[in-house]
Amino acid sequence: MQKCEDIRGRLTLYLDNELQGDERGMVEAHLSECESCAAIFARELNFLNAVRESAALHVAPPELRAKVQRILSEGVSGVAGVEERRPRRASRVSWLVAAAAAVLLLLLPLLVWRIVKQSSTPTASSFALMAAETHLRHMRGQLPLETESANPQEISSWFLNKVNFSVKLPNYQESSGQEKLYMLEGARLVFFEKNYTAYVAYRMKERPISLVITSDSVARPSGGEEIQARGLTFHYNAIDGLKVLTWSDRGLTYALVSDLEERGQQSCIVCHEGTKDRDLLEPLKPH
Amino acid sequence: MDGLVEIVEFGQAAMAHIDALYGYALALTRNMTEAEDLVQETYLRATSAAHRPDADSNLKSWLFVIMRNAWLNQLRHRNSGPKFVELDTDGPRVDQFQENPHVVYLRKLEREQVQHAIESLPDAYREIIVLRDIEGFTYQEIATVLDCPAGTVMSRLGRARGKLRKLLSTWQDKARVKAV
Repeated sequence: MQKCEDIRGRLTLYLDNELQGDERGMVEAHLSECESCAAIFARELNFLNAVRESAALHVAPPELRAKVQRILSEGVSGVAGVEERRPRRASRVSWLVAAAAAVLLLLLPLLVWRIVKQSSTPTASSFALMAAETHLRHMRGQLPLETESANPQEISSWFLNKVNFSVKLPNYQESSGQEKLYMLEGARLVFFEKNYTAYVAYRMKERPISLVITSDSVARPSGGEEIQARGLTFHYNAIDGLKVLTWSDRGLTYALVSDLEERGQQSCIVCHEGTKDRDLLEPLKPH
Repeated sequence: MDGLVEIVEFGQAAMAHIDALYGYALALTRNMTEAEDLVQETYLRATSAAHRPDADSNLKSWLFVIMRNAWLNQLRHRNSGPKFVELDTDGPRVDQFQENPHVVYLRKLEREQVQHAIESLPDAYREIIVLRDIEGFTYQEIATVLDCPAGTVMSRLGRARGKLRKLLSTWQDKARVKAV
């Protein structure tokens, strides 16, 4: 009994990942053999999941993002300015300082371009930004799946009456008989612009791929690099190290997020692997 | 002073946290315009700071510390002192596992209800729920952001979750009565 009280006092620490080594092992061993403590643990886990899943995804508005980008860019030019404004001293290092400032000023456009190119792309749509943030949060374990299944029909059915559009997931591998390159893992709802959107998680070679779907009345793809393929316009953005493709088709808007190489076209394999879809995949390959 | 390359890398790493900072700013201010101003103020302070953390270590919690200090500073200027301290000393601690038998039903509650409950929490409780359960900071990181001992983080978090359970179970009871 004493043991149970002791363990229950540590459950919160355990659930918050604040226990290490032996202490963690002790809690896990006890939970595996004590039904009443395991029941309390399950209740607490459910409660915390409900709190974590309720989290509204806040995406900084594009205007704010642009302002912050300017603040950070001005920090860079400020440094170059400091080097430039230093008073000229008749010292041996003055030429070195001048040379360093010149090099910095020469590098400045390239470095600012790197910020714009490699960090969160300022022109990315809020839907693309939300999709990237959702992907990251799911990877960090902050957005657990609400339903887990490798069956596309089951996932499609789960979304019935939860979102105000029909989610029909492809079952390409089953129909084409190709080697199974990816796994459907499950789904959950995420909140965006006062609407529930569909989040579907895949995994390919141990790397996660996220597909976010909403009605095109809620979000339209925009910004980033535009790529035309099979009558559709794809918008490609690099956001926080992730590749994000957004597009609209038949009333729905999609965002596909991955950390795969080559502009994310590999993640399109989820739906379109196979020779007959080369005309779709080819334009998405790097130039 | 950092070199130009370090500053560029810092900018990239700092930009990655803008959504989290915006969410925290909304939790602090409850106002979109104020939240946007607070985010900008945070980045302005961060870029002018003399010492910056490594981009891949504790940058996020460092930015949160800056934001919280900026917010407290704004509150002081409005002559309305921050209301973050008194909650740790009041009343006995809620028995976090036993008091609410209805907690088992929480999974069935609508998300809006949980969100609304979080919004209804006192500032200090809402803040710590955001830091731990939404942003996933460790107790020690939260202690750094809030500038308090880790023990205070544990007790405040326990009270915040207890209050949240109580709110949700009360609402659920009311909903059940209505249904009957």
